[in-house]
Amino acid sequence: MKKVSIYRPSTTDEAIRILSQHGTEAAVYAGGTDLLVRLKNRLKQAPSYLVDIKKINDLRYIKEDAGGDVRIGAATKLAEIGDSGLLQKRYPMLVKAIHMISSPELRNASTLGGDLLQEVWCQYLRGGYSCWRNGGHLCYGAIGDNSYYHSAMGGRLCYAVYPGDAATALIPFDARVKLATPTGVKELSVEQLVPGDMMVDGRIQSHVVRHNEILTEVVIPPPPPGLRASFEKLRPRGVWDFAMASLAISLQVPNRTIEDARVVFGGIAGRPLRERVVEDFLKGKLLTAELAKQVVPVALANAAPLKYNAMKIEMAKGLLASGLAELNAAG
Amino acid sequence: MQPVEGILFEPVGCLAEFPAEPLDEIAVRVFGRKNKPSRSGSWAYWHWLTLVERSGTPLSDSQKRSVEALEIDAVSQACLYEDVLPALGELRSMGVHLSIASSLSTAAVDRFLEAGRARGFFSAIWTRDNSGGIKTAPLGCAIHAASLRPERVMFLADTAEGFKVAKRVGVNTILMMNDPDEARRLALEEPAGGIVSLYELPDFLRLVTAQNAGRA
Repeated sequence: MKKVSIYRPSTTDEAIRILSQHGTEAAVYAGGTDLLVRLKNRLKQAPSYLVDIKKINDLRYIKEDAGGDVRIGAATKLAEIGDSGLLQKRYPMLVKAIHMISSPELRNASTLGGDLLQEVWCQYLRGGYSCWRNGGHLCYGAIGDNSYYHSAMGGRLCYAVYPGDAATALIPFDARVKLATPTGVKELSVEQLVPGDMMVDGRIQSHVVRHNEILTEVVIPPPPPGLRASFEKLRPRGVWDFAMASLAISLQVPNRTIEDARVVFGGIAGRPLRERVVEDFLKGKLLTAELAKQVVPVALANAAPLKYNAMKIEMAKGLLASGLAELNAAG
Repeated sequence: MQPVEGILFEPVGCLAEFPAEPLDEIAVRVFGRKNKPSRSGSWAYWHWLTLVERSGTPLSDSQKRSVEALEIDAVSQACLYEDVLPALGELRSMGVHLSIASSLSTAAVDRFLEAGRARGFFSAIWTRDNSGGIKTAPLGCAIHAASLRPERVMFLADTAEGFKVAKRVGVNTILMMNDPDEARRLALEEPAGGIVSLYELPDFLRLVTAQNAGRA
């Protein structure tokens, strides 16, 4: 494993000062389930200085504020989110998605912030190939085995898929995040946080957080009346795997008519892919058993599969049909 | 990689998909080879260039006419990749020097650029006619005429022969990953980089610039 130095700041401001001092050589260390693997993989972009934020008190909580928003500290463990009665009551789809992330052991260590900002799991990157995210200028996934970890919806430089499930499940609730930065607090939607394949501080990464910024909080607004939501994930093994394809869908159905919709695919693109064409198609339609037959042909028209991953698109369309069936049955 | 000042384009395989048949026919008619279909237009193109190179003798006037006619036939069937014009426009706006450096004839390149409405994007056009040779000659002229430093120049290639030419001239070889299987083989030749689509080139250049700025 790469040798590192560890800082243990007690406040967010102190952490930001340290991060600013070391530039891209430093990184935030919380759960470590992604970061430590990157260090073990000896990736060129793995940091030399870890800024351990576990001692910072105000980053680990789940609470409801006076306005009805639920706030989750970025250092909150995934297991704590999975066990939260408040979240189970308000956002059961999110809790279901969290339970489908990795294994119970890893959920005990992994944090929400870490899941949102994790590095891609492309086997070429993790295997030390000199790719875009590892000091090189070529995507080996685009020409190699791209059956699992790579985008079926095109790419920009890196074709790896964004691997996180939490972001996919948070977007249908219009969740937002807060970043602590050297110049104050920055607020973004989750969708804006992980736009996929971004050039930030001279590096390719899936999120927009700069080297001296810290994700501090996720804020989820109260669900609107009549909200139905579903999350499904297809993976090679029944547990402990990343998504071949996943779908988080929420429909606002106060009676039988869909007033609003969010359709977000995971595991098929470099970002959680919000399929606005389908959302627009669904709005104003009656939620019936036949709706899936009409909507599935409309979905993912911009698919651009690589040589070995066209089945991801079929999987995603299948998830859309089953997700709609589940929400119809829930009425 | 150093910041990129210029990019040299070989139209065959890098700006458009060329049909293999007319280019294969050059090897048959001019060099008496058996008609063996190539796997791509690029492969057929670089193959006949290699045959010219190996023959060591210049083409006769009748051979030149025959080659040019077949090239023009290939150009007339070539399909410009859909990403070419937007990418070239963006690269131009970034101030990157763009040249054609091709072993095609001037007539074939002119026809190609005219049909694709791409001429305006290029600061210079070097062919086997105005550079006086094939393979390295057009690249050398393009670099020299624009006072570019080879280590700051990219040449896009999708064949092993294209790679060899780029290495001989000292420019950065960028693998055009048109065919995944061929690209996987060529990736072993350690190109300076690789792209799936020309859309990626502007970001490629920005990243290299940012990486160099970070090191400075």
